[in-house]
Amino acid sequence: MYLLGNAAIYLGLAMAVYSLVILMAGIKTKQQRLVNSGKGGVLAVFICTAVAAAVLLYLLGTSQFVYEYVNNYTSSELPMGYKLAALWAGNSGSLLLWTFFLTMYTAMIAYSRKMKGNPMVPYISAILLVNTIFFYIVLGFVAQPFTMLDYVPAEGRGLNPMLQNPGMIVHPVTLYLGYVGLAVPFAFAMAALILKNMDDFWIKMTRRWTIIAWLFLTLGNILGGQWAYVELGWGGYWAWDPVENASFMPWLTATAFLHSVMIQERKNMLKVWNISLIILSYALTLFGTFLVRSGVLTSVHAFADSNLGMYFLIFMGIAVVGALYVLMSRYHLLKRSAGEFTSFVSKESSFLINNLLLVGSAFAVFWGTIFPLVSEAVRGTKVTVGIPFFNTVQAPILLGMMFVMAVCPLLAWQRSSAKNLKKNFLLPSILSLAGMTLMVTLGIQKAWAVIGYGVIIFLFITHYFEFYRGVKARRKMTKERIPTALYKLMTKNRRRYGGYIVHIGIAFIAMGIIGSQNYDVETMKTLKPGESVDIEDYRITYERLDQRSEGINDIVYADLTVFKNGERLGVFQPEKIFYGNWDQPSSEVALQTSIAEDLYMVLSTWEENGTATFIIKINPMISWLWIGSVMVVIGSLFAIWNGRYQNITPKYTGVMKEVA
Amino acid sequence: MKRKLAFCFLLLLFGLQSFLLQTHATETNNENDYKSPEFKAVASQFMCTCGCGQDHYACDMAGCANTDAFKADLISMMKKGMDKDEIREYYVGMLGEEILTAPEKKGFSLTAWVLPFAAIGGAGTGIFLLLRRWVSGRGKESTPEEVLAIEDEVEEEILSSIIDEERKKYL
Repeated sequence: MYLLGNAAIYLGLAMAVYSLVILMAGIKTKQQRLVNSGKGGVLAVFICTAVAAAVLLYLLGTSQFVYEYVNNYTSSELPMGYKLAALWAGNSGSLLLWTFFLTMYTAMIAYSRKMKGNPMVPYISAILLVNTIFFYIVLGFVAQPFTMLDYVPAEGRGLNPMLQNPGMIVHPVTLYLGYVGLAVPFAFAMAALILKNMDDFWIKMTRRWTIIAWLFLTLGNILGGQWAYVELGWGGYWAWDPVENASFMPWLTATAFLHSVMIQERKNMLKVWNISLIILSYALTLFGTFLVRSGVLTSVHAFADSNLGMYFLIFMGIAVVGALYVLMSRYHLLKRSAGEFTSFVSKESSFLINNLLLVGSAFAVFWGTIFPLVSEAVRGTKVTVGIPFFNTVQAPILLGMMFVMAVCPLLAWQRSSAKNLKKNFLLPSILSLAGMTLMVTLGIQKAWAVIGYGVIIFLFITHYFEFYRGVKARRKMTKERIPTALYKLMTKNRRRYGGYIVHIGIAFIAMGIIGSQNYDVETMKTLKPGESVDIEDYRITYERLDQRSEGINDIVYADLTVFKNGERLGVFQPEKIFYGNWDQPSSEVALQTSIAEDLYMVLSTWEENGTATFIIKINPMISWLWIGSVMVVIGSLFAIWNGRYQNITPKYTGVMKEVA
Repeated sequence: MKRKLAFCFLLLLFGLQSFLLQTHATETNNENDYKSPEFKAVASQFMCTCGCGQDHYACDMAGCANTDAFKADLISMMKKGMDKDEIREYYVGMLGEEILTAPEKKGFSLTAWVLPFAAIGGAGTGIFLLLRRWVSGRGKESTPEEVLAIEDEVEEEILSSIIDEERKKYL
């Protein structure tokens, strides 16, 4: 297995180098034979990576502790699912997974039916192969996954218990798919620039791949938040940790691209800006990896004992400089076809503001993340930049973004007249103001909550109008029934209405965030068995404390009977788990979820005499966050799904085909 | 006699009330409220250094060795009448700015707070100027008819998609 694993890695590296060289030779000499050989090489590289990943999975699954990686991240009593999930628990394994996805995407593009005969394919493959070679060099010479120990340990060190959660099986995978996915639009952009061609096809394909990467990034972030919420016992879901920020920044810039590309599509403008956003998103994924694997910033997520960050920083530097060089060399061509705006108040302008806020938000996250380093370099004083900073700085920016999101759908392309504005916005404005007044009357008086919910009401109404107007217009012409008209309206313009579903999902998420951030209630109480604690409408009675063993782990748990307004909801068991192979215990939260709020119960400490201390939280509207997340996923899938009515991506008709 | 009884009853009542108040006060003294809004305002300013990545308000004591003592210190300072700013200054003086969960809003650290908004403001001004350049000259050319046509964009899109569909059926 040692030989097979290492052979797969070094052969993969050799094949990647060969494919890159032969593809470049094919492009240069215009010989399809060489390009075909390069494409075969791409497939071979993918097979090599798949073999290496399969070998590591086999070693992890069969607990072969003589391998350093297996020894460091697993133990024999670990359930099989977590043994295999240890593939992404450490540095080298996670990089192997990254390489696997990268080579998978490369092979998908090289052999895509839609891309058949497209002269961009050899360029895209070559650019992605450069990435692959970098990862293979790291896997082959810096973070080797198949290093063997001099002895055979009887038992492994085990997996960090925090990672032993179903959410952690899926969260890193989706995040990596998103991270790696952003390399694809980058490769498309570079290929288009090199070929001096940025037509409709380029836009459609790039946008599609960006949505895929964006969807996975979104899923990764949401699942990470959900894991933090149930596993860390802190009651929150987003801590603005450097690593979380690292995945949020490309998400913001990719979102900006998905909007601004519409202006390019419609008006043939902002080409340089769009390419810049793609380069930026890609660079931010590498920057994030640098943060996680360099140890320059303190993070609970960071990989221990890692010096890999510098390699990523250097690679990022090379990639960005190279990309900017290509961009500058084609600048005159991109600039030549620039169109014009006709009004300050138009959909185009709102997209520009949306881009300003999204990129501004990304910059604020970036600045906050690196500020400890800046402060240390400038003053020699370390500072911590944590939740209060990011919440304070991001709240107005993100609220502004929600407002633009609410206004944009009803603005017309090119120019919105005063009549148009009045017709579209009078009713939503009145209803939002009425809603805000009602909230204040009902006792919701925190400024952020009132303004935030007011904007969200506005958003719901404008989006409802979009659907209403569409259905009405369709029915006027086709006399269809409302459900049929709605269905056909949406399926005929998947991107538009998928986008609206995403917007509504984001509004739901925002409602959850505003509610849980502003109206959470928390108490901490030490109770004797039989005693109760009251918090809002709940009475929680502490029944008993007990202990049980599961494998090598000891679990201390408390039975809590929960009543709401006198009605018994059941017995809940918050736990504290002491791991046989890990120093730190972890909290297993007991959760009573409803659409209105979560009752969040944590067993904190206890005494010999049976008294125990509990942290009880009421987190309002958390479920809205998860419902919104599901809607975001549904909307994204709806937008990229190739339905029966969907326009088929146009066949490539761009620059003259030489090799493909 | 009735008066004496009433007086005794009142005395008993006051006594009981004092006792209850005393007991309540003692209870409050014995059990520190680590989840009160006042304590949250103070403790959430400070970063726990045990590696949990949370502030001292959020850090759960069982998993962390040093937050227990830190919280007790905070409570004793609060009892001495120190407000959250005084407590912050005390710790920053002793342990440096790194102990805070967010940079201070003065000196060089102020740039952390200001720069994002300055950047957005600068870029926003740039966009406005760019828009003005793009719009100037073009805006005057558009006729009211053009504007009206654009307003019914949704109808146009739907109509064109229906025409497309019909065309595909018959051609």
